[in-house]
Amino acid sequence: MKKMKKFLGIMLAMVMAVTMLAGCGGSSKESSSSDNGKTLKFGCFSYSESLDPANMINSAWCSSRYGIGECLFKYKDDLSVENTICDEYSTEDNKTWVFHIRDGVKFSNGNDVTPSAIKACWDVLYANKTGSSNPSKFMDYESITPDDDARTLTIVLKQAKADLRKDLAYPVFVILDVSGDYDLAENPIGTGPYALTSFDSKTKATLVKNKYYWNGEVPYDNVEIDFLSEDNKALALQNGDINLVENVTSTSDLDTLKKDDNFNVSIGQGVRTGFAYINEKGILGDDTLRQAVQMALDHKTMCEVTVGGLYTEGISVLPSSLAYGYDNLKNPYTYNVDNAKKLLDDAGYKDTDGDGIREMNGKKISINYITYENRRLSDFAQAIQTQLADIGIEAKINSMDADREWNKMVAGEYDLCDSNWITVGNGDPTEYMANWYGKSDANFCNYKNAEYDKLYEQLDTEFDEAKRAKIIEQLQQILINDAAVIVHGYYNSSMISDKTVSGANIHTADYYWLTTEIAPAK
Amino acid sequence: MQKILNFIKKNKQFSFFFLLVILLIFVAVFAPVIAPQDPYVSDLKNALQAPNSEHWFGTDKLGRDIFSRVIYASRISLPATLTLVAIIFVAGTILGTLAGYFGGWVDAVIMRLSDMMISFPGMVLAIAVAGIMGASIKNAVIAIAIVSWSKYARLARSLVMKIRHEDYVYAAIVTGSKTGYILRKYMLPNVIPTLVITAATDIGGMMLELAGLSFLGFGAKAPAAEWGLMLNEGRTYMQNAPWMMIYPGLAIFIVVVIFNLLGDSLRDVLDVREE
Repeated sequence: MKKMKKFLGIMLAMVMAVTMLAGCGGSSKESSSSDNGKTLKFGCFSYSESLDPANMINSAWCSSRYGIGECLFKYKDDLSVENTICDEYSTEDNKTWVFHIRDGVKFSNGNDVTPSAIKACWDVLYANKTGSSNPSKFMDYESITPDDDARTLTIVLKQAKADLRKDLAYPVFVILDVSGDYDLAENPIGTGPYALTSFDSKTKATLVKNKYYWNGEVPYDNVEIDFLSEDNKALALQNGDINLVENVTSTSDLDTLKKDDNFNVSIGQGVRTGFAYINEKGILGDDTLRQAVQMALDHKTMCEVTVGGLYTEGISVLPSSLAYGYDNLKNPYTYNVDNAKKLLDDAGYKDTDGDGIREMNGKKISINYITYENRRLSDFAQAIQTQLADIGIEAKINSMDADREWNKMVAGEYDLCDSNWITVGNGDPTEYMANWYGKSDANFCNYKNAEYDKLYEQLDTEFDEAKRAKIIEQLQQILINDAAVIVHGYYNSSMISDKTVSGANIHTADYYWLTTEIAPAK
Repeated sequence: MQKILNFIKKNKQFSFFFLLVILLIFVAVFAPVIAPQDPYVSDLKNALQAPNSEHWFGTDKLGRDIFSRVIYASRISLPATLTLVAIIFVAGTILGTLAGYFGGWVDAVIMRLSDMMISFPGMVLAIAVAGIMGASIKNAVIAIAIVSWSKYARLARSLVMKIRHEDYVYAAIVTGSKTGYILRKYMLPNVIPTLVITAATDIGGMMLELAGLSFLGFGAKAPAAEWGLMLNEGRTYMQNAPWMMIYPGLAIFIVVVIFNLLGDSLRDVLDVREE
């Protein structure tokens, strides 16, 4: 009897083990082949539950990324703008702007895109007060007047703007059809190359070719979007479940895909900067300490090895690829561990009790470093922790979710706080540079520099592009001189496709994923 | 001496695993001597190196020596697991014995508490507790202790109840023995052997749960050298640097197997009733 039981037990265990293993394998290849190359299977992370542009900034981006909605203008890879739905514009005083709407542009349901339809759409978006990405943040207007006969839209702003086109190219100003019954959250109807047929933010979305697309032939008849977790992206592509995937963030997976001839990997330096705020209301208010910290960090190795090239190293808060004079910037605190130690020694911050950590005014130099799991930020944090330990500074890492980190940052409960910003989201870094502007609500790091503030205020009134660029260059240099930010680097986005797909390139502005450039391989 | 030799001869299996456990403890105690490098000193340039003569188990994403980290991790995992088992063993035994002996409202209160604890899936509750208290190995131990003591309490209670109404217990009461004396001299000795065996077989499982919490980010925090955490760190490098997962995983496997087999053979030693 006892033997029997034992035997049954072993059998049961074996059956369970075999069935578990069976669950893991198989089940891929046969489903992947697409009907004569006209269906694109795209894998991406689901950044938003809704596609209503006014709901959340991610919602607006997604509607543009999936090829559903378009704006009057579109950012090129150097972040200047090109015409899309608008084909001509004019302004005399930067306050009154007249946009001519291209003839023959239709929504994917066949309705005409008229100036009044555009105004109706924006009225709906402006009226959404519950969402966090209300377009009023970007354009505060006195009046919008559509003239359907002349096909013009006249916008009178409350305050003059250097280039309104750059704001209107931002996906919160996407043009959607709001005539009849509309559902912006789950079934927005736009002018993009693809039209949504079903949307479930947790599993998948399906799209079909927009028959009325105004700008040339749409290469695919159907698009299936699979919403994947970060960890599954590479695997799904390798298995053949999808043909195209955005942003594989595991460097190890990315490496494997790069080496594999079956895949094309397009990597582009985006406009995202990874950096750590330095809270100057804490121990890091001390200039010498900040400078020593900057000198102790080997950014080149961190970018190239620790995060495997997912970031491009750089000294400024604005990416080196942008036209804001990066090459003229000078860093007085280049990486040199010995100099960092000497600086601390000279300032009298020495380790007196032999625990390996220096003291400052009798207190241990201990830094509260908060970070979150996003685009490898916590890996930077760990690397920085060990490098600071080398010069006798203790860093305590506190890794949390994004919301909690944000709250701690707003409350100022940190010394270093990892962050990841799109620097020129609407084509201009003014909003982003407010992070260090003394009078800004967004200045969470208690940084104050009168010279910076004065220069920053000039941006409000200066409309000449070249002069603005010069001011922004000076702002960057001031931040570098003050050792005000730990810049990790500039995030490189990626788009990876298998051999059935051609033209899958990543764009600098992260709002264009499913474009008409992506076509079946010949 | 002769006694010990006799014991070893009689319980070969137990003695063998006990020796292995001693060896494990030895490794933990003498980690600084055994580990060739400092487990916390990173060398960013030499990250993700495959196992070689200098780094036997390779290096991790910050260029730290994985062999040294695996060795040092025993200094966190072993004491934490043993403390955890000791806590639930002591707490469970005391509460269970009291509940079984006194009955009535004492029994009701303790057992309803324990019912509450086991009505949740253990690991989920532990994650909730660890999540609320914040991630640290200490909090992970507390979290798992909170959900695990009830097993010991129920066991102790039923064992006590089995003998509570025996004649010799009444005899002790009638002859004027104090309650404390009865608990110590009659109840505990009856309960302890079974519970010790349970505790010994639980060590492996508890170690896995602790590593599990660390893996999920509710236990040890970076840069600590801890097996569960190392597994998690290696997860994203599984395709290119599998050694980051293999060696910590192997360490967990070996240690858990040793403790489980020790628990099994301990039953053979203590529990002579079977066969």
